[in-house]
Amino acid sequence: MTVAEVEAVTSGIEGPPAGLWRDAWRRVRHNPGAIVGFSVVALFIVVAVFAPLIAPYPPNDQDLSLLAKGCCPGPSWSHLMGVDDLGRDEFSRVVYGTRYSLVIGVVAVTVGLSIGMLLGAVAGFFGGATDNIVMRGMDIMLAIPGLLLAIGIAAMLGPGIWQVMLAVGIASVPIFARLLRGTVLGQRESDYVLAARSTGVRRRSILSSHILPNSMSPVIVAGTLAMATAIIDVAGLGFLGLGPQDPATPEWGTMLTNADRYLGTAAFLALFPGLAIVIVVLGFNLIGDGLREALDPKLRGRV
Amino acid sequence: MLRFVVRRLLLLIPVLIGLSLLIFVWIRALPGTPVDALLGERATPKAVAEFRQHYGMDRPIFVQYWDYLKTTASGELGTSVASHRPVTTEIRERFPATIELTMAAMMFAICLGLPLGMIAAKRYGTATDHASLFVSLIGISIPIFFLAIILKYLFAVRLGWLPSVGRQDVLIDARHPTNFYVLDGIVTDNWAAAWDATKHLILPAIALGSIPLAIIARVTRASVLDVQNEDYVRTARAKGLSPRVVDRRHVLRNALLPVTTIIGLQFGILLGGAVLTETVFALPGMGSWVKEAIFNHDYPALQGGILFIAVIFVLVNLLVDITYGLINPRIRVS
Repeated sequence: MTVAEVEAVTSGIEGPPAGLWRDAWRRVRHNPGAIVGFSVVALFIVVAVFAPLIAPYPPNDQDLSLLAKGCCPGPSWSHLMGVDDLGRDEFSRVVYGTRYSLVIGVVAVTVGLSIGMLLGAVAGFFGGATDNIVMRGMDIMLAIPGLLLAIGIAAMLGPGIWQVMLAVGIASVPIFARLLRGTVLGQRESDYVLAARSTGVRRRSILSSHILPNSMSPVIVAGTLAMATAIIDVAGLGFLGLGPQDPATPEWGTMLTNADRYLGTAAFLALFPGLAIVIVVLGFNLIGDGLREALDPKLRGRV
Repeated sequence: MLRFVVRRLLLLIPVLIGLSLLIFVWIRALPGTPVDALLGERATPKAVAEFRQHYGMDRPIFVQYWDYLKTTASGELGTSVASHRPVTTEIRERFPATIELTMAAMMFAICLGLPLGMIAAKRYGTATDHASLFVSLIGISIPIFFLAIILKYLFAVRLGWLPSVGRQDVLIDARHPTNFYVLDGIVTDNWAAAWDATKHLILPAIALGSIPLAIIARVTRASVLDVQNEDYVRTARAKGLSPRVVDRRHVLRNALLPVTTIIGLQFGILLGGAVLTETVFALPGMGSWVKEAIFNHDYPALQGGILFIAVIFVLVNLLVDITYGLINPRIRVS
């Protein structure tokens, strides 16, 4: 360490400010919660990718001989999470279920985020009548409680896993639209936008290459947290019976639909898919919280 | 203040009109027509035509929308296809069940969430603080229906302490003047019935209240932490007020502002979550009714039910805004 560096440290002068992203990354790495969250999600991604290698049986393989002594055999060494009412290995089904949960989270959030961002950015940037029309539309959607709106859209699209993802995504559009409109409005009046405008940059490229990149951090946080909500909501719709109609689909929410019937005899059938949902959702929530702290400008520069 | 309320009320009109339009279009976009649902697949073309004429479905869509607005505005919501009873009668019986449930859930969430958040903020950075953060993290990460199933398994199936389904024991003889069963028991001086209805509410209320509990605890904690560092709190302490008085009069009163808004916003989560909770605990409320209506293709019930819930939700939000304006003068003028 040179004298100048020591001086800088002792007198509290910081070096040149690191970029927003590098600074944020540094703070995320020092946040134990976020590390746990990233590890959990990484683990689930690995399980999802290598599901055929991890699962000891195919998820839909029925072995009715296992049910000879009544339903349903509990956890054992050959069936870690027991056997369900159709003689299928519960562990294998939970493992394959990770694939669904992650795809569900990504698809639902992508749908909600892209439509919501487009509407919010347009409303915030153009203002006036456009803003009014778009945001009143969002108000109308927000007048119906979120889960109920998703149920309504799912009913319209018909039952099925893709329909449910789409429904949960569309139901989250107004939240993203409001968020982005708010941040874009804040950025629109800033000096760098004025500078870009005065040098003759076209309106569309001001929006796409100046305002949007600077409005990203709240969207990233909201997107991560929305991933958690989406997984819960899709599981909820699956539980209500609006999800995949093929009972062979190892989607966690759908797996819980029938759990009620076996609550007295085989409660573990409800426990494992439910725990899987809780853990993956917990992971996304931890990441979201960590990112929020890391990207909050008020907290920048601190560890 | 009056201007603030009037302006908020006027802003409601476009939302309500848009809402009615949205629900009108949505009902018509649902798969399967009421004709199929009511007459069956083997109806003759003549019967279908008569049916369409009878219900005005042969007229232009604008006329149909106008008629729908007129009948809805007069409080007429049609007849349920599944139960053959007026939708308004169904709502009168089922809505109290849902309100009773959401109120109980809210009480649970506030009574536990507020102290949890305050204690966490007071003991900032300690094990207590971390524990409360962890509890609220679990609270927002656990699906309502999964928590409901676990509670039902533990306390109803395993331990047998609490009932697992319904609003009241069928063997209990009770009158229901208001359809709020707990209240009914109290007003008819039937304390056994009131107690039984309360026991039926405990598990669903805990399951449904878990998310608001977590959110209220988090927001209270953050808000108390914010206010604690304000200049006026330091001044209050500096002039020698007892810590108790500072906490109650200066910190808590100001910290509760954001918390009240959050509490109002939770109502939507509760109304949505009621669908799941009522399904698990077989409660005959609005939520389980809407769910059944979807599977029965009971469009009048769906249309009326969702419109009713949305209007209630909008009114609650308005009430929250007005309350917020009342307790926070800074909002009123802007």
